[in-house]
Amino acid sequence: MLPDFRLARPQSAAAAVALRAENPGSRFIAGGTDLLPNIRRGLASPEVLIDLGGVAELRELRADDDKLRIGAGVTLATIAADVRIQQRLPALAQAALAVAGPTHRAAATLCGNLCLDTRCQYYNQSESWRTGNQFCMKLVGDICRVAPKSARCYAAFSGDVAPALLVLGATVELLGPQGVRRLPLAEFYRDDGMDWLALGKDEMLYAVEVPLADGWLSTYDKIRIRGAVDFPPVGVAIALRREGEALAELRSACTGASSRPELIDGLEPLVGKPLDEAGLALLDKRLLKCTQPMETTVVPVPYRRRVMPVLARKLLRNLWQG
Amino acid sequence: MNAPDRRIAVVKTAKEPHGVGARLPFVDGVEKVTGTARYTADMPAANALVGMLLRSPYAHAELLEVDISEAVATPGVRAVITGDACDMPFGVIPIAQNEFPLARDKVRYIGDPIAAVAAVDEATARLAISRIRLRVRELPAYFTAAAARQPGAVLLHDNKPDNIERQVHNEFGDTQAGFAAAELVREETYECAEVHHAMMEPNAALAAWDNERGHLTLWSVTQVPYYVHLTLARCLKMEAAHIRVIKPFVGGGFGHRTESLNFEVICALLARAANGTVRLLQTREETFLSHRGRPESHIRIKLGLTRDGRLTACDAEVVQRGGAYGGYGLVTILYSGALLNGLYDIPAVKYDGYRVYANTPACGAMRGHGTVNIRFAFESLLDSMAAELGLDPFEVRRRNLLQSPTETINGLIITSYGLPDCLDWVESASGWRERKGKLGRGKGLGMACSHFVSGSAKPVHWSGEPHAVIILKLDFDAAVTILTGASDIGQGSSTIITQVVAEVLGIGYHRIRIVANDSAITPKDNGSYSSRVTFMVGNAAADAAENLKRILVASAARRLKVDESEVVWLGEAAAVSGDPERQIPFAEIAEEALVGTGTLTVKGTFTCPPEFQGGKHRGAAVGSSMGFSYTAQAVEVSVDMDLGTVTVDKVWAAIDCGFALNPMSVEGQVQGAVWMGMGQAISEETVYENGRHMAANLLDYRVPTIVESPDIEVHIVESIDPNGPFGAKEASEGPLSGFMSALAAAVEDATGHRFTALPITPLRVFDALHPRGNKKPPPTAKQGDA
Repeated sequence: MLPDFRLARPQSAAAAVALRAENPGSRFIAGGTDLLPNIRRGLASPEVLIDLGGVAELRELRADDDKLRIGAGVTLATIAADVRIQQRLPALAQAALAVAGPTHRAAATLCGNLCLDTRCQYYNQSESWRTGNQFCMKLVGDICRVAPKSARCYAAFSGDVAPALLVLGATVELLGPQGVRRLPLAEFYRDDGMDWLALGKDEMLYAVEVPLADGWLSTYDKIRIRGAVDFPPVGVAIALRREGEALAELRSACTGASSRPELIDGLEPLVGKPLDEAGLALLDKRLLKCTQPMETTVVPVPYRRRVMPVLARKLLRNLWQG
Repeated sequence: MNAPDRRIAVVKTAKEPHGVGARLPFVDGVEKVTGTARYTADMPAANALVGMLLRSPYAHAELLEVDISEAVATPGVRAVITGDACDMPFGVIPIAQNEFPLARDKVRYIGDPIAAVAAVDEATARLAISRIRLRVRELPAYFTAAAARQPGAVLLHDNKPDNIERQVHNEFGDTQAGFAAAELVREETYECAEVHHAMMEPNAALAAWDNERGHLTLWSVTQVPYYVHLTLARCLKMEAAHIRVIKPFVGGGFGHRTESLNFEVICALLARAANGTVRLLQTREETFLSHRGRPESHIRIKLGLTRDGRLTACDAEVVQRGGAYGGYGLVTILYSGALLNGLYDIPAVKYDGYRVYANTPACGAMRGHGTVNIRFAFESLLDSMAAELGLDPFEVRRRNLLQSPTETINGLIITSYGLPDCLDWVESASGWRERKGKLGRGKGLGMACSHFVSGSAKPVHWSGEPHAVIILKLDFDAAVTILTGASDIGQGSSTIITQVVAEVLGIGYHRIRIVANDSAITPKDNGSYSSRVTFMVGNAAADAAENLKRILVASAARRLKVDESEVVWLGEAAAVSGDPERQIPFAEIAEEALVGTGTLTVKGTFTCPPEFQGGKHRGAAVGSSMGFSYTAQAVEVSVDMDLGTVTVDKVWAAIDCGFALNPMSVEGQVQGAVWMGMGQAISEETVYENGRHMAANLLDYRVPTIVESPDIEVHIVESIDPNGPFGAKEASEGPLSGFMSALAAAVEDATGHRFTALPITPLRVFDALHPRGNKKPPPTAKQGDA
């Protein structure tokens, strides 16, 4: 059942942000593919929904010489089908295409996927289910069901697009009443299932800028039980630049394995030489070091931990070999 | 209901049959694809109250108090009922009725309904539900069959020691001698996860209470309106004559709805308590909690083979976690044993079955009822043993074929047997001889066989009535109206019945309409389960049409003033033999038929003769049937050798359905069955944590998507069964149960690993490809791998 709410439909981003500031109990809604199911399940109960569908400026998709600027309201279907993105930023196109199914992607937006609510098998359940299980700290309850002794919530960030944009070096533009501020995407996220976005209560994600640097190869894929619909139990993005026989630059990021998408650090030793088994082994190690999959889905942790490096190796090898 | 009044286009084929054998679109297809079909949740009902359930958060507990006082006092609430509203237990099997619509004394699984509310709107109903207070004493709860059977376990039902609902011990032939004569004996265990039907339409009921007369009308999503009718009479302690049950369009069932379910009774109880009309819609989660799916099964099986591949004996033990209530459970555990027979010629079979109660949602009938998991085990072991003997999977099966007609050692009568032709086609179409074992690393082929009944020869309620009844009504308008109680739940039974009538009478489809499933109008039918409708109702429809045709031929003779023997029946007209110019149209024949008698209603029936109703042993009725379908299928897969993901590339399935009354429908049924088997094989499983369903939604319960759906090539073998309508047998359940072992064989071909547990998810394949403590996948030796 969808509870009662008021619907606002501003015509500009500035008006939307003003509405948000005036109504503390409000939420932005774009595609609604994440928010509406959550509202139906009682996971969110906004008094006001601010529909961004009427804000044309959010749907701008513009390429300059050296960067691509994607409005927050551009749909995932548009991103996945954009030839420039397919050619220059393949990880982003692949990640957008990896989200849910075609009907979701037709409605779902870039900002919705980047701001996706964190997920957990003890949280993404009906009201009566959670009541029977005496809730969890992400909503109403006291403890984290996947880590009962923990002081924090471990719900997993499960967006596909964020890791792709992380390895592509994206920055986000946040619009608030004071204007726009820019952040590297990595700084937009926090490792906390209840408070995972560095987004002020009166701010909106306005646009994303992705550098169009030459020589970069990139890719994204996720572990799947099914070929569509599933959220990633884990997902991995890789970007690299090759100079002759040497790996000149390498970035990797994961999703589904922590409360935020994780940009993997400590990969410098792989750089400046050809890719070898020692390098792949280090990538394995860093992935496991930088992520902390918990029992947030019905797909168990040991498998997710073991398969993640295998997926990363496969993606890296394929990129390296072109 | 289901009453098309338009001309139905027949898809043209080379032969252009227009009755049976025609590729006819479903008679109710237009309503479905245009969105005008009304399902239970769509039925107009002004001022209907909203019904809602309070379900148990406890897996096993004594109910000490259900305090509804605050809920009753909530403004807008019209009725609040608890277990006190009904003290009559129900259940589809008359000797195993142990479920109350609302729990009394005890709750036995998380989700067991405890109380129900009828209110003016959903928000009020929800508020009232939240105000119901429970006081309970929690009991130890058991979530596996093994735990529930442990000595000292608290009993779910007091009359069932060791929590065993039913055990079956049968031996036919001499298995000891059979194993002694074998040159290879192997024993293996197999595990199958519990799976759920996941039909498209969630549960829903609408109940209208007529207070002046004390009458009840119920609309529901059921496959078995007759059983629902009986259950309502029982639980509401009403005269059956005061109840009317209507089944509107139904969006699938697959066995979930082959028994009366608690929500249907609760909806009726609420309507009576509220003295009004109540609509009770169930969420997808609640539909998962009503369950009735295929049980988690632990199977131990031993086979004996001679060196040349002849089966000498089979010894199987099946343990099923049946869940909290009886339901169809005892039938499920009997089916697993009974249909060890009937596919191959096995001289000796021993079977031990245990159906165990546990604190999980009750299992029940699901497509391929009881025969699916045991078939996975049997076919898997047969394959492994054949490989040991150096025999090809097709060859070992060919060496164990039955000779039809025959009677199996457990009293199943086989009258038609097209399995040899099925094997030949699948072997050839899949390129088996050239390709098996030669596809390279990560690619594989596998095959298996399966079978299923065309309806149970002995009905659940043995009342002495025919198994099926059809009524045809002919009136002044010269229209033929078919009245049937057979439930079309999407499988196309209304279409099949229509085709049979059109064939026998030879008339056009524009003259026929079908009215189904309103107990006030249509004849009783046992329901749509165990693939009985095409066979039994199809036969009844042919009988009814023959009876009507006799009357019409006599009428035509009178009007043409000739002897009946001189009438040439043309369907839409009748002519005089040798004088084709002298003819009269159907309308005139109908007019003549009504002279002196008025509206004609003609009946047709079908009854399974006693000799088909099984052997003499206890439980022999289960598995007995007048016709068995046979399927062979081959599955081709690709396996991602890094990640363990199995992709089904192609399936070839050949079915002996006796005769395809509607080939397009047969193909659809076979593809649906194969596809459903694929879900169980690669991704579907229920997940409980301390009895709490963790995947009671279509995101976490992983029904395959279109991405996983392979090309399924169907070949129809027509063995022309002597008893089926025009030779037809079932086509929609048998093809399911061969899939899992065919897939397991294909995965073995691709990876070198034989999986004995379902589903064969990427997790399981990954673990096999990357054994713990070993970072490199093991090298896989394969024939044909250069």
